[in-house]
Amino acid sequence: MSGLHGWKLWALVMVAVIAATCAPLLAQNNYQVQIMFQIALFAGLGLAWNLVGGYAGQLSLGHVAFFGVGSYGFALLTRLSVPNWVAVFLAAIAATTLAVIIGVIVFRLRGPYFTLATIAVAEVLRLTARNLDFTGGATGLDTPALFHGRTFWKMFYFAVMGLAVVAFLVNLWVARSRFGYRLMAIREDEDTASAVGIDPARKKLQALLISAFLTGVGGALYASAFQYIVPDDVLHIDRSVQMAIIAMLGGAGTLVGPILGAVLLISASELFKNQFHEAQLLIYGILIVAVVLFLPEGIVGGIKQLWNWLRKKKKPMALEAASG
Amino acid sequence: MTDFFQACSDGLLTGALYALIGMGLALIFGVMRIVNFAHGAFLMAGMYATWLFFEKFHINPYIGFIPAGILLFFFGYVVYLLFILPVRDRSDFMQILMTTGIGLILVDSAQLKFGADYHYTNIPLKGAAFHLGQVSINKASLLSFVIAAALIIALRSFVVRSRTGQALRAIAQNRDVAPLVGINVTKIQGFSFGLGIAAAGVAGALLLPPLYLFPTVGDDYTLKAFVIVVLGGMGSIEGAAFGGLLLGITESLTSRYWGQQWALIVDFILFLLVLSLKPSGIFGRQRA
Repeated sequence: MSGLHGWKLWALVMVAVIAATCAPLLAQNNYQVQIMFQIALFAGLGLAWNLVGGYAGQLSLGHVAFFGVGSYGFALLTRLSVPNWVAVFLAAIAATTLAVIIGVIVFRLRGPYFTLATIAVAEVLRLTARNLDFTGGATGLDTPALFHGRTFWKMFYFAVMGLAVVAFLVNLWVARSRFGYRLMAIREDEDTASAVGIDPARKKLQALLISAFLTGVGGALYASAFQYIVPDDVLHIDRSVQMAIIAMLGGAGTLVGPILGAVLLISASELFKNQFHEAQLLIYGILIVAVVLFLPEGIVGGIKQLWNWLRKKKKPMALEAASG
Repeated sequence: MTDFFQACSDGLLTGALYALIGMGLALIFGVMRIVNFAHGAFLMAGMYATWLFFEKFHINPYIGFIPAGILLFFFGYVVYLLFILPVRDRSDFMQILMTTGIGLILVDSAQLKFGADYHYTNIPLKGAAFHLGQVSINKASLLSFVIAAALIIALRSFVVRSRTGQALRAIAQNRDVAPLVGINVTKIQGFSFGLGIAAAGVAGALLLPPLYLFPTVGDDYTLKAFVIVVLGGMGSIEGAAFGGLLLGITESLTSRYWGQQWALIVDFILFLLVLSLKPSGIFGRQRA
């Protein structure tokens, strides 16, 4: 897909958006629309994570911090009678502000230290939210719904679809801009990147800010759709793992990867939920191990490899020898 | 003042178990440069193993830690061969994902096998205490402290004195040269992974009597193990021992003066402070 240019690319994007917009028409009941909502939401979150984890190559397992701040920000702001949609925006700004603070701490660290620090920050937030009165403690807070009535889930689906489309366009921009090339240079080799004049800490922070804003919007929409938030859900490390594995499964650092990952993972875990109840996270564990062992570039990477292999096979031997 | 001494003594007793957990993680990190994000899950596995020995064969946890430790050692060795070896030379990113995945599989398998119910192991020793001045010391905690301390000393002298320990340190210092002097890197790494997992498992066994047992019980300990190891300087097993004691005392003091719910928050804030101010750890020299 990243090979496409000009009108072909835009045509494909338009077709995909129209198809996704029409998808709820096929749903037979609200439950199915709700699953679509989750798929679109997590496609958006996976794409947001992709900016930091995919293009910049920084394994963040603390993205739930931005999600949670989005959720809590929305819940608390609406309590102060801020209009709902303004609250969504302000909650995302709060998540972005948090990203500045986190970024300053964590981006000086590398490899496992970075990942550990992102987890620690998210856990501090979860435990603090559990212990403070104004965040409702362990029982959490009520949140107002942005939409009402019969089309409730459809409207929410369109809202998160909007988020996913914006997140996709941001990914598209990153994949083709000077900013994105710099991020990828940092991913490949941070020392070399800084030797050619890239400021890695600054670029990574910029990617984190965009990612945090999108994740914050996702958190606010999630909170509003379920009308109730608890710290052990919206700030739990399992959600961070979920965002990461969605992008990784599809293919981190690719455009379609996170979307593909969300479709597969959410439908799979929905099937698993009915079968294994509490142990539905087992599928995450198995998928993570399988992806690392067999599909390190994700599904998109796997397909690319298969494609290249097939093309090579078609080539006559002599030609290959000449070109190789 | 009695309060302060009581908190310190409680903290020291738990701290020895933390030290054991941290040493396991430090050993694995030192020899493999792999951060084991499944450490708490292995601790949980050790707890369930000990609990099963207790339920089925009526083995007291303070003896049951021995078979549990041996079991976890072999389990760790197998996990190394099947899952860690293939990612040994891959990026941090992939290694972290791998151990995270292993952790999730362990926790959810426990969930599937044993359910989410809480289990409680009742042994008479738990209620017994004696007094040292005005400080009261629980006999069960003291016993687990003594066992943990003995194992910590044994582990340290093993790493420093034995031939296997030397090979292990050689790999930690330079993995590329180690095979040239005749060290079987895969075997030694598998051995140290097993040993590190066994340390976590034994700590789990010793934590069984004072805690409730449930599948996600180990989750906090993964993070605590990181805190311990970072406090002591990543990869240094002596540092991890000090880090464990320090964390135990910090937690105990926080619980006493601010309330138990803040203990873990203080852990993480301490962790972030050390990471951003002195990443080589409080006791650590700069390594690698």
